[in-house]
Amino acid sequence: MIIPLPVFVAVPLVTAFFLPLLGDKRRFGATILANIATGVLLVAAIATIGQSGVYQVGKWPIPLGINLVMDGLSGLVILAVSVVGFAAMLFSAGYMERYTAKPKYLSLFLLMVAGMNGVVLSGDMFNLFVFLEVASIASYALVGFGCEHEELEASFKYMVLGSVASMFILFGIGLVYGNTGSLNMAYASRSIAETGLTRGLVFALGLFVAGFGLKAALIPFHAWLPDAHSSAPAPISAMLSGVLIKTLGVYAITRVVFNVFGISIQLGWVLLVLGVLSMVAGGFLAIGQADIKRLMAYSSISQLGYVVMGIGLGGLIIAQGGSTAWASLAILGGLFHLINHAVYKSLLFLTSGSVEISTGTRQMDRMGGLGKVLPITRATCTIASASIAGVPPFSGFWSKLILVIAAVGAGYIWLGAIIVFVAVLTLIMYLKVQRYVFLGELPENLSGVEERRGSMTCAMVVLAYLCVLMGLLLLVPDLKAAVLDPAVDVLVNGISYSSRIISMP
Amino acid sequence: MDKILLIPIFAPLVAGFLMFFVPNTMKPLHKLLALAGAVVSFLLAIRIFSSAGVLQYSCSIVQMGDFNLDLLLMTSPLRSFILLFAMGFGFLISIYTLKAGPSGDGSNIFYGSVLLTIGGSAGVLLSEHMLFLLIFWEIVTVSLYLLITTGGSSCSFAATKSFAMIGFSDAAFLLGIGLVWALSGTFVISETGVGTSSAAAIGAFLLLMTAAITKAGALPLHTWLPTSGEHAPASIMAILPASLDKLLGIYLLVVIVSEIFVLESRALSFILALIGSATIIIAVMIAMVQHNVKKLLSYHAISQVGYMILGIATLTPVGIAGGVFHMLNNAIYKCCLFLCGGAVEEATGTAELDELGGLGNKMPFTFVACLIAALSISGVPPFNGFVSKWMVYQGVIRMGSAGGTMSGANLWPVWLTVAMFGSALTLASFVKVIHSIFLSRNPSHKRDIKEVSGLMLVPMGVLAVLCVLFGVFYELPLNLFIYPALDIEAGTAIFGTWDSALATAFILAGLFLGGVVLFVGLVSRKSRTVSTWTCGEIMDNDEIIVSGTHFYKTISEMGGLKQLYKRQEQKWFDLYDQGGLLGLDLSRFLRWLHSGLLPMYLTWVVLGLLIILTVFCTIW
Amino acid sequence: MLYAMCFFLFVIGLYCALVKKNMVKIVIGIMIMEYAVDLFLIMLGYRAGGVAPIVGKDEFDAVSGMVKSSFINASVDPLPQALVLTAIVISLGSLSLMISICIRTYEKYGTFDITEIRRLKG
Repeated sequence: MIIPLPVFVAVPLVTAFFLPLLGDKRRFGATILANIATGVLLVAAIATIGQSGVYQVGKWPIPLGINLVMDGLSGLVILAVSVVGFAAMLFSAGYMERYTAKPKYLSLFLLMVAGMNGVVLSGDMFNLFVFLEVASIASYALVGFGCEHEELEASFKYMVLGSVASMFILFGIGLVYGNTGSLNMAYASRSIAETGLTRGLVFALGLFVAGFGLKAALIPFHAWLPDAHSSAPAPISAMLSGVLIKTLGVYAITRVVFNVFGISIQLGWVLLVLGVLSMVAGGFLAIGQADIKRLMAYSSISQLGYVVMGIGLGGLIIAQGGSTAWASLAILGGLFHLINHAVYKSLLFLTSGSVEISTGTRQMDRMGGLGKVLPITRATCTIASASIAGVPPFSGFWSKLILVIAAVGAGYIWLGAIIVFVAVLTLIMYLKVQRYVFLGELPENLSGVEERRGSMTCAMVVLAYLCVLMGLLLLVPDLKAAVLDPAVDVLVNGISYSSRIISMP
Repeated sequence: MDKILLIPIFAPLVAGFLMFFVPNTMKPLHKLLALAGAVVSFLLAIRIFSSAGVLQYSCSIVQMGDFNLDLLLMTSPLRSFILLFAMGFGFLISIYTLKAGPSGDGSNIFYGSVLLTIGGSAGVLLSEHMLFLLIFWEIVTVSLYLLITTGGSSCSFAATKSFAMIGFSDAAFLLGIGLVWALSGTFVISETGVGTSSAAAIGAFLLLMTAAITKAGALPLHTWLPTSGEHAPASIMAILPASLDKLLGIYLLVVIVSEIFVLESRALSFILALIGSATIIIAVMIAMVQHNVKKLLSYHAISQVGYMILGIATLTPVGIAGGVFHMLNNAIYKCCLFLCGGAVEEATGTAELDELGGLGNKMPFTFVACLIAALSISGVPPFNGFVSKWMVYQGVIRMGSAGGTMSGANLWPVWLTVAMFGSALTLASFVKVIHSIFLSRNPSHKRDIKEVSGLMLVPMGVLAVLCVLFGVFYELPLNLFIYPALDIEAGTAIFGTWDSALATAFILAGLFLGGVVLFVGLVSRKSRTVSTWTCGEIMDNDEIIVSGTHFYKTISEMGGLKQLYKRQEQKWFDLYDQGGLLGLDLSRFLRWLHSGLLPMYLTWVVLGLLIILTVFCTIW
Repeated sequence: MLYAMCFFLFVIGLYCALVKKNMVKIVIGIMIMEYAVDLFLIMLGYRAGGVAPIVGKDEFDAVSGMVKSSFINASVDPLPQALVLTAIVISLGSLSLMISICIRTYEKYGTFDITEIRRLKG
């Protein structure tokens, strides 16, 4: 079945438009409608696995019109967005009942999803910027949705830093247009390949790395993330950490760097160093946290570091003319870690939401022994923690294994050492969560706590099963060939992207 | 393609995994399933051991360029022998836990983890592909964590610490495997054979060694063992840290030394010997002054690992054979000791030596089992511990006499002295244990104590009998298991004029004579019992207990040692705590940088942009 | 030179966002950056002496039915103008959200001083 590509943007966008019209009285209907929308997206994303194609908006041929491009990389990210979006929306149905203006929340949620899908699909730089802003603005509003002290503060800081990043990106897009005369990625890339990198393009590249790096929360551009991700409502934290920083940050950076500008040694090193810095510093920052969501937020920085490090390493090997096998292994590790992280980090944030809604606090030192009263939360959180810590046979183990193998195989032994060291840091921080939240003595004031069953636990269980089964994406050759390999090929083939898109009907 | 190899691994793993979904209300089902899994694995292990030739199974899973992941299982005499005993211990312990399971809910996690442990251990022992070895290895780690968490709310710290420390060593293992692969181009153990001349190879050796000795519980990464020993129930300690973890850790060490690497570097043998000796002496010194029986046993569990490592470090056939035999013996008596400790705790509700005493009459069976195991661990002839320690000593001497091929060889008198002295201290320490628990006097509030259930006694009894058997008829296990496993010709270990059967007969005769003398003395001379008179106050005899806990107080208060003991209590030498403090300091510094000031965050962004632009400008 | 002016304006905006403590001034700084970029985009399409790219009836070539190439060469590039329009709309959205968050924050904290609004740290 061929799904027309605009579906991914249009469905959430249209639903988002109608939801606030329903008003707070009909919140049940709104919830159902929003869940149907994310369900449709999930089905569409699964149906498009392995598909690739170009859609020309309004039948205007490129480079005159705007095009939407679906290839391996887009398909992979769309899949992650849809899965996490579906689960987070399901979780929201129960979790957001305590907030007023739930339909508005649902509307913003879908707007964010539409923005993310747009970013991933657009084959045009300015279009990418527009969708990026749609998703960003929706996320600023969602972070501040609670309208309490901390939410507003986080929202403002996030917004200032995010706007600065957007300006960097827009400035970069202007420079690209000025230097190549095209905004279409394929044509811009062809032009860059012909003329080589001029001074303006180098400047643009720097702006892109910084701008998208800020959206991806790479250190040193990360400062907004722990505030924003810990203050947002739990399902939004799951969306932000699970997919937003990946689509707006990592996806965009890799698309621009690999497919438009083409990778070079320095670029590979910059990505590698940014990734390693994020991994290590994020890990240490997370260990010292007492707030469960803040800990998870910092660990997102650390885990995203893995992704960027893997992709940067792959790029570096390609640029140095090394073996393509190692390069694709490193990129495979990075991308596989990307989707793994999308699943287990969103699950972790959902469990933190379940804990928070039951206990009314996020401070881990005020909890303890919740494993007895929140059995499903405990079980799912344990699975997600095992995944993120890289315990076999859960998903995180495989991606870290591949990254280590690629790093050591390509001769970067120190990098392998850092990878396993950060894996230990990750293990320790999630053991801390387990110990302070689920093990130990139950405090007196929490003895009456009960688990909220229903849509919340349902969403968590779905993601937990995915955590367990995700390893199959790598281990079953057919699945790997359908989902991961095309994405890896897109990056390994680099700037041949342009000729592929231009030659497509 | 011998599919029989799959069953002892995957049958318990699958059953254990499914067990997590069986609700806690169906406890009998849990027990039945656990027992069934253990029995099946044990029977298959016997079958595998008795089958001639090499069994193997392979199945390709992932193939990406040079990187392959095959499920490759293969037996060797060493593996099938350790497998036999590992599954045997699994079987015995699953019988024991029928009675001494977890008290609260969490029985599905407990019995599920027991099964995961059994399956994981079988996987470790049969894997020929290093990555699968690692996967099964980590499954065992996780099940240890899960097991300790079922011990109740006080165990959370112990569980966390154990998982963190072993997880650290597992990460080292992963990196080490990566290095070995980069050096040799293969993951298959029998094809590796890396020389230890380059820095990368030495690094890989040290990393893999870290994994092995952490699991086995040697210094300096041993501290998870006493911590979990103190908090976790004894039956859990008996399953993993005392028996299976030792088997697995020492198995890995043997594989590293004899198969994965070809040891050329002198320094490495020296490091191993140093670790071994330091472990023997330091751990036993700490064990002597402990007051909690489980913590004490844990320190002894550490100390005994030192003998195994020392034996392997000699790199002489007899030394390695001694090390492996000691591994087996240690698993037997240490498992027995922990089970006895568990029985005492089950019967009295405490494991503090100060609160115990006089249980010899109440729990005669446990007493005898514990006594035999204690004599074994102390290396008293004719029990099994003596034989293997004797072989380790021989290995050390032979390393010395072989000359200075290894730099550690020159120091052989030091190693030997330390090992023997450690053995003496072990004996001293167990004198205290036996006295405090079974002899001495019974505190008044512990009167109504009964022997534990038969289901708990059977494993203890079997293990105690094995202690005696392997000691008196030591040639049986040596010829049947150890020599073929290590491909050493029979009779390598020299016992000189020592004839175990004769010596045993003499010892028994001596004991009999002593008993007669005692009996005659008791009958012929009536002793008078009076109350103790203390300065005008008459105390009841029942209140006066010669506590064993203070036997070695003088040692702990000796000049230089006192400070060391104090520091040790304060965790100065605990790498986990010290590493944790260091990490938290770094974390605190980084958190201090995140002061919540928006201008500062913006400055980072601008600085980051400038640095990136600078880097790019240097290119073009 | 004109491009340098844009860049200068951009840096002024960045400096304002970086140095000013008042939240509203930070927002103003960001908007200055925004306008600098908009100005830059507009100037990209500028052609000295160019005409507005509005296609009237006269501009079509009678033979081919296409726009005359002389007109295309003489007119300024219309694409950046479309971009700027879109960018302005987006910035309007984000400006209104920013200002409303500023107001709500002021209600909660009672100050606009960003250095005093730092509950979230560490």
